[in-house]
Amino acid sequence: MSEEPLIRIRNLHATAGGVEILKGIDLEIRVGEIHAIMGPNGSGKSTLSNVLVGKPGYEVTKGEIYFRGKNLAEMDPEIRAREGIFLAFQYPVEIPGVANNYFLRTAVNAIRAHRGEEELDAMDFLSILREKMKLVEMPEDMMSRGVNEGFSGGEKKRSEILQMLLLEPAFCILDETDSGLDIDAMRTVANGINQMRSPDRAMLIITHYQRLLDYVVPDYVHVLSGGRIIRSGDKELSLELEAKGYGWLEDGEGTPA
Amino acid sequence: MSDSLDSLVRLRPTGGSGWAGSLREEALASFLEQGLPTRRLEEWKGTNFAPLGAMDFTRVGPDHSSGDTLNRPCVEISSEEHGLVFIDGRFDAAASQRSDLPDGIRALSLAEVLDDEPELLTGKLGQLTDLKRQALVALQTAFLEDGAVLVIDAGARTVRPLRMRFISTTADAVSASFPRMLVIAGENSSVTLLQEHLTVGAAPGFTAFVAEFHLAEGARIESVQIQSEGAERIHFTSVHARLGRNARFHSHVFSLGNGLVRSELDVQLAEPGAETMLCGLFIGRDKGHTDHFTTIDHAAEQCTSDEEYRGVLGDHSRGVFRGRVIVRPGAQKTDARQSNANLLLSDHASIDTKPQLEIYADDIRASHGSTIGQLDSDALFFLRARGISAANARLLLTGAFAHGIVDRISDEELRQIVGAVVDSALRSLEHGALETGDPSEGVSKQ
Repeated sequence: MSEEPLIRIRNLHATAGGVEILKGIDLEIRVGEIHAIMGPNGSGKSTLSNVLVGKPGYEVTKGEIYFRGKNLAEMDPEIRAREGIFLAFQYPVEIPGVANNYFLRTAVNAIRAHRGEEELDAMDFLSILREKMKLVEMPEDMMSRGVNEGFSGGEKKRSEILQMLLLEPAFCILDETDSGLDIDAMRTVANGINQMRSPDRAMLIITHYQRLLDYVVPDYVHVLSGGRIIRSGDKELSLELEAKGYGWLEDGEGTPA
Repeated sequence: MSDSLDSLVRLRPTGGSGWAGSLREEALASFLEQGLPTRRLEEWKGTNFAPLGAMDFTRVGPDHSSGDTLNRPCVEISSEEHGLVFIDGRFDAAASQRSDLPDGIRALSLAEVLDDEPELLTGKLGQLTDLKRQALVALQTAFLEDGAVLVIDAGARTVRPLRMRFISTTADAVSASFPRMLVIAGENSSVTLLQEHLTVGAAPGFTAFVAEFHLAEGARIESVQIQSEGAERIHFTSVHARLGRNARFHSHVFSLGNGLVRSELDVQLAEPGAETMLCGLFIGRDKGHTDHFTTIDHAAEQCTSDEEYRGVLGDHSRGVFRGRVIVRPGAQKTDARQSNANLLLSDHASIDTKPQLEIYADDIRASHGSTIGQLDSDALFFLRARGISAANARLLLTGAFAHGIVDRISDEELRQIVGAVVDSALRSLEHGALETGDPSEGVSKQ
């Protein structure tokens, strides 16, 4: 464990719309690891994911984030994506008029170009796309529709996982990907996520509930509250939270794990 | 500066003999009486055409002095296509293709018709315009010499689109061109038509184009117009259509040039059951000014109009949209829809949009709406978060907005042609707005 972590977050303070939400986060994630972040509403979980991908409106006021030894503060969102950071959005946006397959190929080729790989033509891309679509059980006709246009909640989440499978990021952040999914969709999405598990890759799963973690078992679990990580542990911690809720931890905020 | 355009008027065609000669004289008198339109006129509130008065014209029509500087292959209609080419308003037979036209379709030059069979024009040419009220149409008519005349017999149909290419050359002199078009569509005929207005060269100049479409009962026309004249060019287009019973006129106007542009479209639904669709897209960049003024006149019952214009405005460009819809007394069961949506890409760009409904019948349906917005920042971020550059993300979003209009063209071939020029205009807008482009990954449509 002496190697440089894939991502290293030190004393991170950040504001969203001018309000301080994150108040000193320290977190290191190495390749091959899966971390889960749990916590009540308003604890800063989504702010953390938005800060990691550089969403406008979120500002780092103190501390730093290093990804593969590079300072993220200097990277535009598209550069972070090309470097291998991926966020599966909690609320994926609909973009009518931009066809899914065209969007996906543009994204894949932007990332391939960044890695010095040859761009894929429409035919080559299509065969890769078909293979990945099977993994998330997406029907082919969804590809000629606009990005997320008219998709159900579950279809949007599967679409996010499809994007992750195609872009093959080194660091996957899943922001409440399990919310609003029925049990079948949950299993499909979990399958997709497990496809991405690899010794070369790390994941950060943000969730309210234990249930996704039944399918995608984390190595570490952190509890975020009031903009800080108040407790860290292994997968047992998530089971404990499921049983007891967050109250018992928040009462004794700052108790070492 | 002159309201009467002395330098231009001096260059008008002389030797006004016969019918065309007296029409020109009448038109000139009308123009001189009205002068250049000013913003004091309600219909010209949004647009200042005074720069036209400031131009010192030295040439009207083709430039015979400097030899042939045109890149002929770009100008000519290819041998697999049908179409007419006009250079500075004059017919260019060598660049045109009009052999083997489908039966019942004639593509003629106005100069030929005036010489050989002027009776063809009787009751048609100039019938849909109003010289007393339309100063620039009068000015165009004062220079009437040449243009396109399409005569489509009853029941005749085009197989592939007919192409009308109007090219202005502006090597050095300040020049003007006055192409004209007359389309006479017989009963139950069906015509698909592409009109292109292009500039070769960068010197200042003026193009005034007037077109009249006469649609007999059951005639169908799909007309696509692409205007992409240069920044120094002032462009005036005035299109007039009259629809007979159950006729259908679909117009698709693409204003992509970055000069000063006024585009008028006036559709008379003269007899019951007529139907029109007016689609338009204007893309403004640099200091371009594009003014679209449309009038739909529901003069008979049970007619339908569906109008949708979209504007994409960047840099310091300005757009104007006026959509006038008149529903005359007795035009019951009218169905009139209108919308104008605009995307402002720069803090310095602006749009002035106004519907104008004048309804004098009671049993009708009419709706209108206009919107002004910016690119959706969440969508933009989503695309960037997938590795797509900010510039290409903007292009994807503006492309989606613009293609909403392109996709309404029913002719597949024209949809492809227009899609490509629209994408190219959007790329110019994007890359003009950026200090540095990212040439390694220009968006290319499959």
